[in-house]
Amino acid sequence: MWKDRLLQKRTPDLILLLLVGMLLIVGLLMVYSSSHVWAEYKYGDSYFFVKRQLLFMIVGLVGMTIITYTPYEIWKRYVTVILVGCFLLLIIVLIPGIGLVRGGAQSWIGIGAFSIQPSEFMKLGLILFLAAYLTYHHRNITKFTIGFLFPICLIVVAFALIMLQPDFGTGIVLVGTCVLMLYIAGVRLKYFAYLSIVGVVGFSFLIISAPYRLSRITSFLNPWEDPLGDGFQIIQSLYAIGPGKLMGVGFDNSLQKHFYLPEPQTDFIFAIIGEEFGFIGAVFVIVLFLLLCFRSFYILYYVKDPFARYIAFGIIAMILIQVMINISVVIGLIPVTGITLPFLSYGGSSLTITLCSIGLLLNISMYSKL
Amino acid sequence: MKKYVSTMLIRKRILFTLLLFCFIILAMIIRLAYVQFMMSEEISDKAEDLWLRDIVFQPERGEILDRNMNYLTKNVSAASVIVIPRQVKDVDRTAEELAKILHLSEEKAYEYVTKNTSSVSIHPKGRKITKEQEQALTQLHLPGIYLAKDSKRFYPNDAYLAHVLGFTGIDNQGLMGLEQQYDDHFKGEAGSLSYYSDAKGKKITDSSNQYTPPKDGKHLKTTIDLDVQTIMERELDVAEIKYNPDGALAIAVNPKTGAVLGMSSRPNFNPENYNEVNPDIFDRNLPIWSTFEPGSTFKIITLAAALEEQAVDLHKDTYHDKGHIHVGGAKLRCWKSGGHGKQTIMEVAENSCNPGFVHIGSKLGKEKLFSYIRNFGFGSKTGIDLQGEGSGILFNLDQVGPVELATTSFGQGVSVTPIQQVMAVAAVVNGGYLYEPYIAESWIDPVTKEVIEHQEPTLQSRVISSETSKEMRKTLESVVAKGTGRPAYVDGYRVGGKTGTAQKVGADGRYMTNNHIVSFIGFAPADDPEIVVLVSIDNPKNTIQFGGVVAAPIVGNIIQDSLQMMNVPIRKSGLDKEYTWPEEPKVEVPDLVGLTKDDILQDLSNFSIDVHGHGDYVKDQSPEAGVKVDDGSTIRVYLSDK
Repeated sequence: MWKDRLLQKRTPDLILLLLVGMLLIVGLLMVYSSSHVWAEYKYGDSYFFVKRQLLFMIVGLVGMTIITYTPYEIWKRYVTVILVGCFLLLIIVLIPGIGLVRGGAQSWIGIGAFSIQPSEFMKLGLILFLAAYLTYHHRNITKFTIGFLFPICLIVVAFALIMLQPDFGTGIVLVGTCVLMLYIAGVRLKYFAYLSIVGVVGFSFLIISAPYRLSRITSFLNPWEDPLGDGFQIIQSLYAIGPGKLMGVGFDNSLQKHFYLPEPQTDFIFAIIGEEFGFIGAVFVIVLFLLLCFRSFYILYYVKDPFARYIAFGIIAMILIQVMINISVVIGLIPVTGITLPFLSYGGSSLTITLCSIGLLLNISMYSKL
Repeated sequence: MKKYVSTMLIRKRILFTLLLFCFIILAMIIRLAYVQFMMSEEISDKAEDLWLRDIVFQPERGEILDRNMNYLTKNVSAASVIVIPRQVKDVDRTAEELAKILHLSEEKAYEYVTKNTSSVSIHPKGRKITKEQEQALTQLHLPGIYLAKDSKRFYPNDAYLAHVLGFTGIDNQGLMGLEQQYDDHFKGEAGSLSYYSDAKGKKITDSSNQYTPPKDGKHLKTTIDLDVQTIMERELDVAEIKYNPDGALAIAVNPKTGAVLGMSSRPNFNPENYNEVNPDIFDRNLPIWSTFEPGSTFKIITLAAALEEQAVDLHKDTYHDKGHIHVGGAKLRCWKSGGHGKQTIMEVAENSCNPGFVHIGSKLGKEKLFSYIRNFGFGSKTGIDLQGEGSGILFNLDQVGPVELATTSFGQGVSVTPIQQVMAVAAVVNGGYLYEPYIAESWIDPVTKEVIEHQEPTLQSRVISSETSKEMRKTLESVVAKGTGRPAYVDGYRVGGKTGTAQKVGADGRYMTNNHIVSFIGFAPADDPEIVVLVSIDNPKNTIQFGGVVAAPIVGNIIQDSLQMMNVPIRKSGLDKEYTWPEEPKVEVPDLVGLTKDDILQDLSNFSIDVHGHGDYVKDQSPEAGVKVDDGSTIRVYLSDK
């Protein structure tokens, strides 16, 4: 341990920081471009959303800085407390009158702009806990109960609580991230085969319990079958991306943001990027994420401490799964699930949590043999 | 079972995860390229439909003008009501007011006001509303109720020419007459202003507009002469009051071109209120639709054919009329008991002697007579540019025996339309040229006012020579001047013509009694005809049903006033003097006692008849039979039931 400390670099990874900085700048510009029509209409202030996004960003950056310079080992002591806290928040948000309902989901706690999304915290909380758990039990990780059953039960409980809001998108990200963490920790593959059977059964159950989900799934195959119902968002999203072609229509020239695409600054911000900057702009953003992915994997690959490695892996997996789901929805590759695009979408909890996660990555990068 | 997880396995699995991510991201980029390159056109087209809103600009419908550029139609603006339900503030009051002003039920009005669409037009009661309704709505200032500019057809001359002009429906679409025939020319093309709109319907600032101006419909200059038409309408109005007929019609045509100068029928209607009359009235344009036996006017055709074929000579050949003629076992009588005696062919024509025409017809033979009848256009449509033309009925040549040939010669047993008669007579008097009648003369560009299309007269065939035509003009002029058609005589305009009294076939297939269509077909001036006019009155009441009495004076009036309006110079007396009439011989009064009323009305063309008493049989007459009187004198007859 002491030796590791000596090996510690004094500065966090600048390339990672640079990539994050670029994504944040693109995000601010695009939040402005996609939101100012709505902002002007709803609040009489074109900068309404971009000002708040800037505020969230500052809060997030402050959090990121603090976490970057906080040695990650500290969190190991509090992982259980954090996890219990997150579970409590997830239960509280479900209590009628306390949880705020937005867009059909009871996902927020708080007042107005200063509300938080417990499910966002849960993702990070579970990553931290699993990292510590997998590190502690790494000798017994191939055992069914320790390596598989217990962590899966934990994940399922968290997923179930999130689905009660309901917030399918966040739930899927959470499950995906945690399962990947178990996978790289060395859990036996045949357990994942059992899991996938359970997953199929559970998925079927979810669809039966709320049939609207099925029509959402089928609608993405041919959105024009129900252009005003389930196909509406996909169609509006494609109407933005399609006309973008190679070069796009130019900054601020999107037509779809003029009330056609609902709340374009959040889940569908990538559609506006595709419309205004075309294929080139959209691929540029994807490449930024890909570079972020490579850099993070590079960092975690050369980290010696398994706890740090699991955290770093969990964080980058979480971010990338979210990116992949969000963009796939926007380009009509998978059914609509409400999920934000990290760094770019407007949203306080999402942005601050993402930045705090990056803070952890940056801190870990100081211990990596780069 | 392996106890510990090796670092190698962990690293392998990390790298595998990275590979998985890269693979998924690659798939995303491929899909993105597919959407932005392959699907782009299709999606963009659909998106354009979504973004682009059109404000439609309706074109002005082309006007119909007469040959002197007088308007026969006029577009006038009329507002239409548009409701934007979302903007309606006080739903109940708005529905109530709308119901009151537009004569809707309140439930219906409430439905319109609360309909869940961006805008509703109230069809048909809110379309093309009256000026009063418009004013009432404007004063109320109801939020969400708008008046859109629209236009409707107005016919400045009311019912004049109604059957020819036709009318338009609520969408300004031509439904009848010229309005329908040339709808494609009149309607033009709608224009639009396309602009990029946001999802709330507002124009996106700084976005470009695409303006396609509407193309107004073309104006039609017709061959109709509003002056002539007005004269014809006036004369038919007078005739309606005087005779209370079942129907009436008049046609005027320029014989030199086939151009229709005027066309009118009774009963008629105002095109603006077409939906208030029986469809039979506007469906049937009598001058081209109706078919009936022409009667004596048809003798013109028989004579023209015979002269052209030199089957008879007008002055040298004679025919002795005994008062009847035996044909194929049937006895066909002349109206004049005892007959006209020895007559030249010219006199046969003047006397309208039926046995004389039977003789002319037999000289011609059925093949020649029927071929001329067909060459003069009977039996087929004239091709006038109006819908609903009839073609008439002729005997089939192999069914024509001596009796059919005989009756056809004096105009019975054939069925023709008025327009066919007019065009045939035009050909007889214009030098022998059969023209196709037409009304649409030229199309005028609404912007440049230049003529873009001009209809030249269509010559169908040459039927007779100019010499025969000249002889026919002389003959027909003398028919008018000498008495049969004397009431049509116009001083200075040298009117020629022929009366006709057509028998109508009743529902039982027999000729009806006391129910005739009386006609006169005339032309003038005889030296160079400028106009041919046909007037037919169906079953005139309170008069003798004879063409010379009822129709001839009407044609005379129409010709006189029309030629004056058309500035046709009056033929000087010097010119008339050159034309010397043969001295009129006295004629013998026929014995009418014991004949039926129908018998004497049937072509008793040389005398005016003055009827006294009631009944079907002639009891007494004055002067008595055998007395020699001037041609055209009045004979009084006294009727009784037995």
